[in-house]
Amino acid sequence: MATKYKLVIVRHGESEFTLKSLFCGFGNDADLSETGAKEATHAAELIKQEGIEFDVAYTSVLKRAIKTLYLIQEVLDCHWLPVFKSWRLNERHHGALQGLSKSEMAEKYGEDKVKLWRRSYHVRPDPLDKTNERYCFNAKPYAHMDQSMIPDCESLKDTVERLLPYWYDEIAPAIKCGKRVLIVAHGNSCRSLVKFLENISDDDVINVEVPQGIPLIYELGEDLRPVKHYYLGSEEELAAGKAKQINQGKPNFKGY
Amino acid sequence: MATGYSVVLVRHAQSEFNRDKIYTGWCDSDLTSDGVEEAKNAGKILCEYGFEFDLAFTSVLKRAIKTLYFIQDELDCHWIPVTKTWLLNERHSGKLQGRSKVEVLEQYGQEQVHRWNHALHEQPPPLAETDEHWNGNDKRYAGLPFAPVGESLQQTLQRSLQFWHNLVVPALKAGQKPLICGHGCYLRNLLKHLDSNCSTGKKQLETPNAAPFVLHLDSDMRPANLQFLNRHGNDIVLFKRSRDS
Repeated sequence: MATKYKLVIVRHGESEFTLKSLFCGFGNDADLSETGAKEATHAAELIKQEGIEFDVAYTSVLKRAIKTLYLIQEVLDCHWLPVFKSWRLNERHHGALQGLSKSEMAEKYGEDKVKLWRRSYHVRPDPLDKTNERYCFNAKPYAHMDQSMIPDCESLKDTVERLLPYWYDEIAPAIKCGKRVLIVAHGNSCRSLVKFLENISDDDVINVEVPQGIPLIYELGEDLRPVKHYYLGSEEELAAGKAKQINQGKPNFKGY
Repeated sequence: MATGYSVVLVRHAQSEFNRDKIYTGWCDSDLTSDGVEEAKNAGKILCEYGFEFDLAFTSVLKRAIKTLYFIQDELDCHWIPVTKTWLLNERHSGKLQGRSKVEVLEQYGQEQVHRWNHALHEQPPPLAETDEHWNGNDKRYAGLPFAPVGESLQQTLQRSLQFWHNLVVPALKAGQKPLICGHGCYLRNLLKHLDSNCSTGKKQLETPNAAPFVLHLDSDMRPANLQFLNRHGNDIVLFKRSRDS
């Protein structure tokens, strides 16, 4: 099938939590680190070099993604773009793992267990109790919602299931009517999109890594199925970006 | 003190064209570094007053969009929906856009410049399609109902009232707390014409860069009073409804 549409997906740049190798997730509105801001700008430069332009952008209600998008708009000189923010593009809720160190968990429970928590499809962490000091959820962005929709922990499957209505109801129609779409989201919301678009199996998704700040391009056919996909930037950047995600889950890793 | 509703408005922070005293209009002039600090300061003021917002409106011009971004950063409310609309753009200055205010004054004279600034139906000289500042091909204006050659105050007022009645009033009536980040000429005319019975005690309301103000409205959505926040430590009430209105 021939390419009819082009979709660009960018995972936000490094956050303060990534810097310290902590589980961040839905409930933590961590800011971008200085490196994360540079990664966002670099992602935009790569998009600009490709000559890609946008008509609309979608992002989450978490500032690390919103600010990554702002920095991309700054480089592409398109601050005027309509931007739609939805909780459905938020990072997965890491439940009781929120705020804990990925490498300390790897030391305590083993690297394989942490990989299972981080990357598998069905495994859900324990929920985080609201009385826990690590529960720092800002309720304001969700005040208008049915509160039972707000998760206290999620598997990747849960993330896919709450993300896909937004794809079907908002993003896909925009693409179909010819709008050039940019999505700036999070590790597991991006992995959810990748799994869905590429039809990756529940077992194989454990090996999917989406690096921060490297634009992922999907060329889509008339039916919105991918014709091809690729990352912008060099092979070295891509390998380093993926390794950065993997290393955080190793024992004795102390952060960046 | 007025009851009913209140809405916070702020003019964008200093742009490069503001600094260089150049007619800006629909030119997409960026913030200066002083402007960035002004915008952050506006956010700090709103934070100190304890303001919270549910949504924001701004233009499609980056000096307003970026001012709003820095305000949101101070208030930690990047999540709020932001509607960007050309209805909130600054008045289109036609052929004057990009030109020095001093040179325009020398060329056209004080009387003509005064008419452009104050006469409701006076049009600036029209911008040509061949002009470097022509916006007609800009994607953000696709579907514009007129060619962007320049606007009278009346034309700017018509779209500002359209914005007010179609976007702001429904938000206020739904109990939402909006923040509006716009442009000088636009805001002055909106305020002046929302209620012609209001007396400012001045010929024209000043809207300094990045100085937030609260417009209090009565239950009929008519302006009751207006306060600039934190000017020299005191809120300044700039108008009150006259008794016989």
